[in-house]
Amino acid sequence: MSQETGEGRGRIARFISKYSRPLTESAFSILIGVIIGSLLVMATGFSPLIFYRGLISGTFRSQRAFLDMLSYLTPLIMTGMSFAVAARANIFNIGAEGQMYLGALAANVVGYLTLPSVIHQVACLGAAFLAGAAWGFIAGVLKSKRGVNEVVSTIMLNWIAYYSVNYVATYKIYDPTSPWKTNSIQDTAILPFVAKGTSLSVSLLLAIAFAVVVFFVLWKTSLGYEIRAVGLASTAAEYGGIKPSRTIAKAMLIAGGCGGLAGGLEVLGRFWFLDNTLQVIRNRGFDGIAVSLVGRNHPIGIILSAVFFSMLDAGAGSVQIYTSGKGPGGLGVPLELGLAVTGIIIIAVAVPGLVHMIGDLIRKRRGS
Amino acid sequence: MKAIEMKGMVKVYPNGTVALRGVDFTVNKGEIHALLGENGAGKTTLMEILYGMIRKTEGEIYVRGERVDGRSPKDSMNLGIGMVHQHFTLIPVFTALQNVVLGIEPVKWGGMLNLEAARGRMEELIEQTGLKVDLDAPVETLSTGEKQRVEILKMLYRNADILILDEPTAVLTPLEVDELFGFLEKMKAEGRTITFITHKLKEVKETADRVTVLRQGKVVDTVDVAKVSMEDLARMMVGREVLFRIEKPSIEAGSPVLIIENLSVLDDRGAEAVKNVCFEVFAGEIFGVAGVEGNGQTELVETITGLREAREGKIVLAGQDVTGTPPDKLYSMGLGHIPEDRHGRGVILDFSVAENSILGLHNRSPFVNRLGAVDEEDVLEWTRKLVDRFNIDIPGMTAPVKNLSGGNQQKLIVGRELMKDPKVVIAAQPTRGLDVAATEYIRSLLIQMRNEGRAVLLVSADLDEVIMLSDRMAVMYEGRFMGSASPKDISRREIGLMMGGLEMKDIQKEKIEGKAK
Repeated sequence: MSQETGEGRGRIARFISKYSRPLTESAFSILIGVIIGSLLVMATGFSPLIFYRGLISGTFRSQRAFLDMLSYLTPLIMTGMSFAVAARANIFNIGAEGQMYLGALAANVVGYLTLPSVIHQVACLGAAFLAGAAWGFIAGVLKSKRGVNEVVSTIMLNWIAYYSVNYVATYKIYDPTSPWKTNSIQDTAILPFVAKGTSLSVSLLLAIAFAVVVFFVLWKTSLGYEIRAVGLASTAAEYGGIKPSRTIAKAMLIAGGCGGLAGGLEVLGRFWFLDNTLQVIRNRGFDGIAVSLVGRNHPIGIILSAVFFSMLDAGAGSVQIYTSGKGPGGLGVPLELGLAVTGIIIIAVAVPGLVHMIGDLIRKRRGS
Repeated sequence: MKAIEMKGMVKVYPNGTVALRGVDFTVNKGEIHALLGENGAGKTTLMEILYGMIRKTEGEIYVRGERVDGRSPKDSMNLGIGMVHQHFTLIPVFTALQNVVLGIEPVKWGGMLNLEAARGRMEELIEQTGLKVDLDAPVETLSTGEKQRVEILKMLYRNADILILDEPTAVLTPLEVDELFGFLEKMKAEGRTITFITHKLKEVKETADRVTVLRQGKVVDTVDVAKVSMEDLARMMVGREVLFRIEKPSIEAGSPVLIIENLSVLDDRGAEAVKNVCFEVFAGEIFGVAGVEGNGQTELVETITGLREAREGKIVLAGQDVTGTPPDKLYSMGLGHIPEDRHGRGVILDFSVAENSILGLHNRSPFVNRLGAVDEEDVLEWTRKLVDRFNIDIPGMTAPVKNLSGGNQQKLIVGRELMKDPKVVIAAQPTRGLDVAATEYIRSLLIQMRNEGRAVLLVSADLDEVIMLSDRMAVMYEGRFMGSASPKDISRREIGLMMGGLEMKDIQKEKIEGKAK
């Protein structure tokens, strides 16, 4: 019994030692970004203290603001996961955007069916997963069978997805009363909001659950073992009886499915329809790349990183309103300044990678 | 006159590792001085301090009698010190000439590159030294031996007269080794001073004038090579007696477990690398394949182990035709494979010890259940057994394998393959780059496999290893077997001739005719 707790403690200690380093690094980088941002704020004559209070207020000024901030996590977590799963197989998947479009469309269309609730949501999300997975799989197969660079193929697939969905939304499933959007899904397909007057729905819980599933698949299954093996050393994986090409296709299938779910969850949990130029979900797929990179391509890291991005996003918009009347001339901080500072902070968070490189160089120099 | 004198050198790395504990090291002008020691003895650290790549913790350095401390490699070059590293520092897409001038490019018109000015000087150098290199070939197209020549020319172009070479023979074929040592003799005759790092006793004996033996960061002794035997050197290096002869009980060989029939294989460029090769390996024997590297051995091994397609021919494993069978299937049929490229194939460096210990078994019970979920308890249990049984020194089972020494990585690979209880073991370059103790251990494991009745195919560029371990051996040259026999029945000279491309039957004919005369 005592031995068991000993092992348990060892496991916790290992867990802490494994994750404390990236966390401290990221926290430190955010601090540096904040300091540099302060200089910029001061240069324009505002008080950094007020500015950052404004930035934070974007999240914490009210319960509603907080829940709204959380609601944006859902697509970021899922598209981040799409990037991360592929990245573990050493594939640079920038196709989450297109996978998300198709997932959204699939969920939208299946949302018209007449099905009992719960089954209906499951069917919509299943369709979203499959649509995204198929799109990812195409890039995966092109890569493994024909050697097509995944960056090129996913960019092209993004555009194909965009115009295909755009076409279907405009001509096939548009809402006759307001033709700029599609028909809304049935009530039975909707993922309910957690409270009145907020856009946070249970889709966030599902996104977190999917993140846990992805974590499990990557680190606790033989498929995950194979994906990571191929990503780290494909010749060694081959020696171990793993077929790199098949594994890459499988990884892209899962990655695409995550991207598809990003779109599906947004349709079911927030909008219930799509606008025909996809403004409501646009760029969430690309945001996922940054979210995943800052989260070190790890599901847990991605959740934290998504919170960070979502808070910055909420803050950049609110800082103007919050600071109005508190700066020189009585006007608030221009929106552009808010965006510029959040940009600086994001760049700073990307720095640890650079620090690692420089650290390696110094260590080599001193000999280690 | 002393070219180099280092006194009381101490090096403590930032992580607390003590690499050097007060080393005194002197090289006389105009001698070839070997720095001998096992992996981790501190040889490379000492030389990198001398070259100014890393900083000493304590100690004094004199070059030609003058105190020089706190230098950079650039200062060292100006002092006439050049170093060839174990891992080359060349830019693959640049030509040999571009690489040589890198950092001190001749210019004209205040900034335009003037390569032609360097060409004359390089051609002269090539003429003088005999180090032939195509100056206009991109370095990535050159062989390893040629790349090393470019590195040496780079030193000489910078007028180095104190040359440091870090394990220069580790990457060379036997022929290239001879060429290199011939060149070093020439450099010595010109009055240059040469220091080279090695852990091969034979090289010391054959080439060096004096040798300094390092063990665990301390100097064991500096001696004249002529006054000591190989056994003395070995004892100094490892601190105990080393087995040069391996005990090999004679056992009855069983039935053929691996049969190769008329096998032909293409290499990556589509040229025929293995040409119509036939052989059998019996249970309870080691069949050795010797030969200069690059004569088709790699392709032969890859084909037998399912990593490369056969163009023609048949591979029979334990009575079943397995031509074209993928590796995972072969493993379950009783194949074990110790791959030639330890880091590229044998282990995944960023994976943990535990994860690596199931590479190739990761889809089998008890490690995964029917749903594909990994059972971590079983994996750890298995790893614990593996680590205990083969005395693998690890920082922890979840530590990445890149933190293990080369010897322990190889023990992990060999142990893992042996734990699969294979009928046939393919061992390619199993002891390459390992220190004496690890080499000895791996060889004893191969013998043990044979004694247990397994069939072992040993492919090695180390001729001594093949002769020492094999029950029967063949020599491979340009994709063909030049002949096969028991190592007891052929002389080294005959093996050497076969490695150079003569067929055994021709050699024997010559012998008979010679006797007749």
